Amino acid sequence: MNLLFNNTYYLACIGLIAIGLYVMLVKKNLIKVIIGLSLFETGINLLFIVIGYIRHGTAPIFSRPGLTAENMVDPTPQALVLTAIVIGVAVLALALSLAVRLNEHYGTLNLRKIRDLKW
Amino acid sequence: MSELVLLSNGINPVLLIVVPLGLAFALPFLGFLSDRVGKYVPAVAMLFNLVVSVLLIPTALKNPVVVSIGGFPPPLCINLVAGPLGVGLAALIALVGLVVSIYAFDYIKEGARTKYHILYLLLLTGATGTVLTGDIFNLFVFYEILCISSYALVAYLGNRSGIEAAVKYLIQGSVGSGLILIGIAILYGLFGTLNMAQIAQNIDSVSSLSVFIPLVFLITGFGVEAAVFPLNAWLPDAHSSAPSSISAILSGIAIKVGIYAVARVMFTIFGASSMFQFLVLLGLLTLLVGEMSAFKQNNIKRMLAYSSIGQVGLIVFALGMATSDGIAGGLFQIVSHALAKSVLFLAVGYMVYRAGSMEISAMEGIGKKMPVISLAFVIAAFSLVGLPPFAGFSSKFLIVRAALATEETLFVVLIGLALVGTVIEGAYFFRVVQVIFFKGVQEHKNTSAQVKREEAPLTALIPIFVLVILIVVLGIHPDFLMPLLNSAASELLDKVGYIKEVLG
Repeated sequence: MNLLFNNTYYLACIGLIAIGLYVMLVKKNLIKVIIGLSLFETGINLLFIVIGYIRHGTAPIFSRPGLTAENMVDPTPQALVLTAIVIGVAVLALALSLAVRLNEHYGTLNLRKIRDLKW
Repeated sequence: MSELVLLSNGINPVLLIVVPLGLAFALPFLGFLSDRVGKYVPAVAMLFNLVVSVLLIPTALKNPVVVSIGGFPPPLCINLVAGPLGVGLAALIALVGLVVSIYAFDYIKEGARTKYHILYLLLLTGATGTVLTGDIFNLFVFYEILCISSYALVAYLGNRSGIEAAVKYLIQGSVGSGLILIGIAILYGLFGTLNMAQIAQNIDSVSSLSVFIPLVFLITGFGVEAAVFPLNAWLPDAHSSAPSSISAILSGIAIKVGIYAVARVMFTIFGASSMFQFLVLLGLLTLLVGEMSAFKQNNIKRMLAYSSIGQVGLIVFALGMATSDGIAGGLFQIVSHALAKSVLFLAVGYMVYRAGSMEISAMEGIGKKMPVISLAFVIAAFSLVGLPPFAGFSSKFLIVRAALATEETLFVVLIGLALVGTVIEGAYFFRVVQVIFFKGVQEHKNTSAQVKREEAPLTALIPIFVLVILIVVLGIHPDFLMPLLNSAASELLDKVGYIKEVLG
């Protein structure tokens, strides 16, 4: 039980990643697939944060006396996540704009019906 | 030679990334000044990159140039490692990028042209950054720049198939990128660093199982862009639906960057010698699947796309042998495939344009109408199949010789199977050559004595001519490239040397 408690954050991240992948594999509607992609990316971003996280840690700034470096949360993964979020937003925006164009051409977003090329 | 070294000592490899990136963002402002300037900007940037990277080669051959950004010493900062492998690939990217941007002067006529050129420059910036960086997260960022611009460029024409192919490519590519990110997160959790040399240094300090998991994530993720067998469903659609200039770049450059990333992760970071035989088998499978699928295609661009998968298989096969000759052969194959496949796609671009269809049967009599471009197509096809005196022969010969030199039964049997793939490749290319030159000639003779010549414009002929010359020169005189390839191969194999160069 203690093991479960200590790894709650990790379990939540892996759960989010798994849900995202499941949605992408199973859903037929392109918008839902894109939502799955978004969930997948969010799970990965959280995974980064969790890796650098310390329980009851402080921000990595020596803002008041008595703060020690040992109790500070690792700032590098947070910087990485900022980059990853920006990349994710770009991919998401592109995916949604492509979905709009796909709907214009085919009149549907159902991926099972869009089969001009072999899937 | 010494003057060259002197000249290149002062050059900072950062320029290879900064100049195209800066010009890409300056392009919209230049567009305000004049509508026609835009298309020349990528050519200028790539010419600059070609000159700089060629000047860097002599220095890189002696000692890799390690650049620390931000003034901190290497493990703390993001660093660039311009070794022989990185600089050589950067030169190849700049060369192909330059000729394809000249091709695009006349080829890209419709649509949002300024945006095309911005995305094109960003794609090449991403590719150059990926091969030069020494930081694994930075590698991911450049790789994403490459991927996102190529998703958008595949959809550039905005037609049904283009949009559909782009959606497919985007979904599969993003899952691949996500897997890479998971791998990087685990590596950071294990080692607390993102510097590739430092990770490589500490890789033996943790259990092999916990290293295996991030390795699998990274290889699967980069394998999507490298189009290794089970992960390449997007490639035929994306390469055949994109504008031909972009197909040439995707086949010639983007796949190679994926292969570079796989090789860098396998050899330098993990040194995973137990995985190399797996790589060889995967390469062979990719080769056979690609060639057999190409054989039954009727659409000429799809055929070329599947043929790219086959060639990727051969490259992965050669790299997986993990001998210095094998890797040098694989890198030579990267160069010869990049040149030949670019010529093929560029030539096919205008052949499809004149024939009005991508079906191979529609190409009848093109050889009479466009003799120069058809001849270039034939030379590139022969080079790809591996006929002497073209570059493809030298690279395939090196790979076969390296496989025989290992004196392991497994490799000898497998290279035999790989040669079967080459025979299939010959069969489908000769079929196209036959259609282009020898079919439909009879009717023309009867109806009109003189077939109307409709050659492609000069801006298409010059790039194709340059690449064909290089194919022939490298085929006749491969020694010209060998010192660079050999030292690039030893850079991949010599993990300790790499760590020493970066961390000092």
